[in-house]
Amino acid sequence: MERLLNIDRRIVYLAIFLGVCLPYLFSFVELPVTITADVRRIYDKIDSLEEGATVMVSFDYGPSSKPELQPMALAILRHCFSKNVKVVGVTLVTEGVGLANSAMETAAAEFDREYGRDYSFLGFKAGGAILVLNLGQDLQGTFKADLKGTSTSEMEVTRNIHSLKDFDYVIDLAAGFPGIEEWIAYGQERYRFTFGAGCTAVMAPDFYPFLQSGQLNGLIGGLAGAAEYETLIGRKAKAMGGMQAQSVAHLIIIAFILLGNAVYFLTRSPRKTSP
Amino acid sequence: MPFFQRTLPLIVAFLAGIIGIFTYYIPVAHTVEVETSTWYRIIAAFAMFLGIHSLLHMHWYRIRRQQAGWGYSLITYAGFTVAIILAIYNNGQGFLSPMATGTGLDLNWMYVNIHVAGGATMFSLLAFFIASAAYRTFRARSTEAVILLLAAIFVMLGRVPIGAYLSDFVPEFAQWLMDVPNLAARRGILLGVSLGAIATALRIIFGIERSYLGEEGN
Repeated sequence: MERLLNIDRRIVYLAIFLGVCLPYLFSFVELPVTITADVRRIYDKIDSLEEGATVMVSFDYGPSSKPELQPMALAILRHCFSKNVKVVGVTLVTEGVGLANSAMETAAAEFDREYGRDYSFLGFKAGGAILVLNLGQDLQGTFKADLKGTSTSEMEVTRNIHSLKDFDYVIDLAAGFPGIEEWIAYGQERYRFTFGAGCTAVMAPDFYPFLQSGQLNGLIGGLAGAAEYETLIGRKAKAMGGMQAQSVAHLIIIAFILLGNAVYFLTRSPRKTSP
Repeated sequence: MPFFQRTLPLIVAFLAGIIGIFTYYIPVAHTVEVETSTWYRIIAAFAMFLGIHSLLHMHWYRIRRQQAGWGYSLITYAGFTVAIILAIYNNGQGFLSPMATGTGLDLNWMYVNIHVAGGATMFSLLAFFIASAAYRTFRARSTEAVILLLAAIFVMLGRVPIGAYLSDFVPEFAQWLMDVPNLAARRGILLGVSLGAIATALRIIFGIERSYLGEEGN
């Protein structure tokens, strides 16, 4: 029993490794995805937008959060482009440029959308939270040109956008600071636009107060949230593909926690009773 | 020079803080807010140079002293040099042109093939460490720990499809845990942190808190 309590950590690592890899190789069962109200509200908002409406997506994450947030970004962009909704991208973090650009180009190519007319990526500028404030004050002054050097006052997609409040919807996909709280404090509260967000699973519990207060209209949490969105748009991609692996990994961790507790209580010396 | 070391920074902090507060609440001061926030972003951009200097200085020190792990500092220098060269080369367009994206030998190539791959790998290692740490340390030693453990199990099951596969109750209960106890606790923490931040900001604005000058607060 004592040996079981001090089990070699490589055995734990091996169990997790197999638990994550095998579901990708062998699909064992079709798992049902429950759609939460928080994710559905974001879907409903985009679905209700008219053709030609403009959405801003802020890609505030880097490579470390790519496995969770990139499928989310792709699902949202696919939904927007399928509805003929225009998208303007931006990022508050230096690491976000490459991922954001890749997500926008991938989704736009699938729906044959044209750069400058249907979508545009502004890129990165320093400032973090203050950049959000500046985007609300004067978007075309803050980003005089997009990532490709095209003037924002001339591009069709940004020509009539002067402030954040001109967008029909704003979504932030974030993995830390600057992120959702900064968008609420310096953007949503000042300029009163409808705001939705997506974040890593570990961050999601932090934002429930903003959902109840109405500052966030919806929240997509982690890969599971992305899988919900993929289910809603009827296009299973990487997030849905990862659900079996994530389910098995969670089961393995729970099994280890229960095993660890069982062994701990079995090996614990009995309490001394007073004579 | 106590004026430049102490008095001037205190005046700058006081003015910046007061302007920040008043421009937020007084609509007529909108122009001032636009100007000051633009200054902030320019200062933030220059702070990057300070960060680069600090990074290179620290790693140069480790290489010169041949401290433990100094080889990694060499890798930092090599990575930094290659990134700078690729950014300046910019796939033959030069650094004054917009950033080339995925068209050849440019910064994006390095980003996709090294940064993205390395970053995602580092983050994925967390799953292994969490599993090992949970097995060793997550013990139901007290009533509070039992509640925490049960909540963790329900949320872990309820947030992935296997929970709904086992029973509809699992995701519903996990959602209730997030919507009610989690929300209440988070709101309390948020209020406490926000009040603390306001108090600290006022202490800095009025020069009571001076630790940023390298002094102990009075």
